[in-house]
Parts: sequence; structure tokens; C-alpha cells
Amino acid sequence: MALSERTIRTFGLAGVAAYAAFVAWLYVHQPQTIQEVAGGMAAGVGAYRIDQQAFDDGLQFFRQDQFAASRAAFERADPAGQDALTQFYIAYGYYRQGWGRLYDDARLFASGLERVNKAIALAPGGRLRVEDSNLEMRSADELKAELEAGLRTEPADFNPLKVFRRRK
Amino acid sequence: MSAASEAFYLPALFLTVALLGGVRIADRVVLLPPPLFALVLALLLLGVLARSGAIALDRVMNAGRSALANVNGLIVILAMFLASAQVFNLVTPEIGLPRLLFSVFFLVLLLNTLAASPDRVRVLRSLVVIFGSAFVLKFVVLAALSDPTGGMLKRALLVLLEGVTLGTLTQSVFHESTGYVAFFTVALFMVGLAALPSEMYVTPPPSSDLIIRGS
Repeated sequence: MALSERTIRTFGLAGVAAYAAFVAWLYVHQPQTIQEVAGGMAAGVGAYRIDQQAFDDGLQFFRQDQFAASRAAFERADPAGQDALTQFYIAYGYYRQGWGRLYDDARLFASGLERVNKAIALAPGGRLRVEDSNLEMRSADELKAELEAGLRTEPADFNPLKVFRRRK
Repeated sequence: MSAASEAFYLPALFLTVALLGGVRIADRVVLLPPPLFALVLALLLLGVLARSGAIALDRVMNAGRSALANVNGLIVILAMFLASAQVFNLVTPEIGLPRLLFSVFFLVLLLNTLAASPDRVRVLRSLVVIFGSAFVLKFVVLAALSDPTGGMLKRALLVLLEGVTLGTLTQSVFHESTGYVAFFTVALFMVGLAALPSEMYVTPPPSSDLIIRGS
């Protein structure tokens, strides 16, 4: 059965609008993997779910200070990088691993800052609060401020009393 | 032009060009939006195509068509505009003196083509030459000069360019797959331009032969 011209034009318009929106989405989000593309699209329609088992594994490693292992598990839990809570824990892992009594690891802190910014961008209204008694910083804003402070060089960095500070 | 071409194929083709035109593959994949100057060049190209009859604007939008058909036509024009901007973005070097020279070269060439008012076939041939040579210069010559590992071509070019400070020529190094994507994108763009509804040929009525409207 031949479609009428009006039908073809209507479906064409809808299809092209959807494709144009997809292209625009790709340019805005710059996904790096197919999983990120698929996850981003699923998140756009509220259908994205993390792998809860992998997340729980990551949390367990995180609490045992096994940060590299926890990151691997968190990445497996959220392969598309679309879950704010998982990104928050990855950022927190970078913070704890990079924290040092004498100096902080700038590379790890920079990675942490990138992830916490992502978590803030993903959180509804940019507000992310995590009720976890294991954490001293329970909001993404606190974590971001701490990471940014760690990346700055200030006169206070040369204060010898700094060695008594605690990791949060 | 059929309704399916106008509603589906041409917009999809040009949007694909707009998507791929920004692809740069290095240690990560980056999608570069077109710079403002590429938009200016795209507008000039649209003018060149309309003036040469390579696109008959009154065939894609006019008062005699339905609103839906006019919207389809508008989308073809917008998608072609975006694709043009991205193709200029693609074949223009990323930084330095080559970027400036290519930009000026494109601008002068388009203005010259506008002034010369060639016909559709000549414009399409001319565009193949412009984009083809820009592609070769960027993805073959400049890429070879910018390659830190060097190679036969780089050594030959260094001999030819003896005395030139390479710092003004070298570009960001991309993975070689960027060149393949770029080649496909430029080729696809030229196919799209050739498929645009032109002034020379109109869809023949059922009982007649080809009607030639243009000169």
C-alpha cells in the first residue's frame, strides 16, 4: 500500500527532528563510547539503571580504602556515567586516594574534580546530598570545594601544622 | 524531487554530514561545532548554490505548496546550511597560519564564484576541486608535516619547505581514521549537493519529457 505524500512528509519531519535532536545531543554531551551514547539516551527518557551489584561491590571496596578496585566496580556499575551518586563516590575515591598529609596528588584531585562536576551536572537541580555515615563530606558541593582547595597553591600549604589535618 | 527525498533522504544526509564534519579522533573523540566564520562561509555557499541554480529555492519553498511541504523544504535548506558549515570546519586547518590562509582562500573563492555566476555543473565541479584540494592539503600535507614520528612524505616536504619555520604550519595530530571519516563526509556532502532540487531539471509531468526551465 502506497503511503500518501502527507504521511511521508509528516513522518519525515518527525524522523528528521529526532535525528537532529540526537546530533545536537551528541555535540553537547560528547560521549566517548557506545555505552555512553546508549546510557545517555536511556537517561534522557528516565530508563537508565545502574548495575546495583557492581555498585555495592564498589561501595565495599571504597569503605576498605581500595580505591582503584572501587573505581573499577563503580565504572562497571555506571558504564554510561549517567548516575550522580556513582559519580560522587568515584570522585570521593579520587579525593581519598589523592589526599596526603604533606601534599595532595594533583592528578587524582583533578580527576576527582572532573567527576564531582559531572555528579553535580547530573543531580536534579545540581544538588546532591549523600546520607552515608562513612563520609565526612556528604554533599557534592563540599567535596568540590575540598578538591578545588587541594588543587590551589596557597600560603597555608606551607604551614607545618598542616600535617595534623585529617582526611575527610 | 520526491516527497521522500525532501522529507527523509536529503535532510538525513546533510545532518549526517553535519554530525561527521565535527568528528576529530585523537586520544578521545571530540565533536567540534562550527566556528562563526564557517557559518559565514556556509551562507556564502548557499548564495552561490542558489545563484547557480544548483538549488532552486522556489522548488523547496513557495506559496503554492502546502505548509508541511514548505517546512520540509526549509529543513532541507537548514540541514544543507549546517552541513556546509561543518564541511568548511572540517577542511580548514585547526590552528595557526594555515587556518588563516585557508579561511581567506575560501572567502575569496566563494566571493569570486558569486561574482562569476557560473552554472550548476561548473559550481559543483568547482566545489569538488575546492574541497578536494583543501582535504588533501589538510589531511595529507599538513598532517604529514605535523606527524611527530615523521615519514617519507614529511622528509620530502621538509626539503621543499627548507627555511620555513614549521611552528607556523604544524597542526594538532589526529588519529588517521579522522582523515577517512573526513573523506567520506566530503564525498557525502558532494552527493547531497548534486541531489538538491536544481533549476535545470524539474520533475516531469506524467505525459511529457524533461522540461528545461533554465538557460
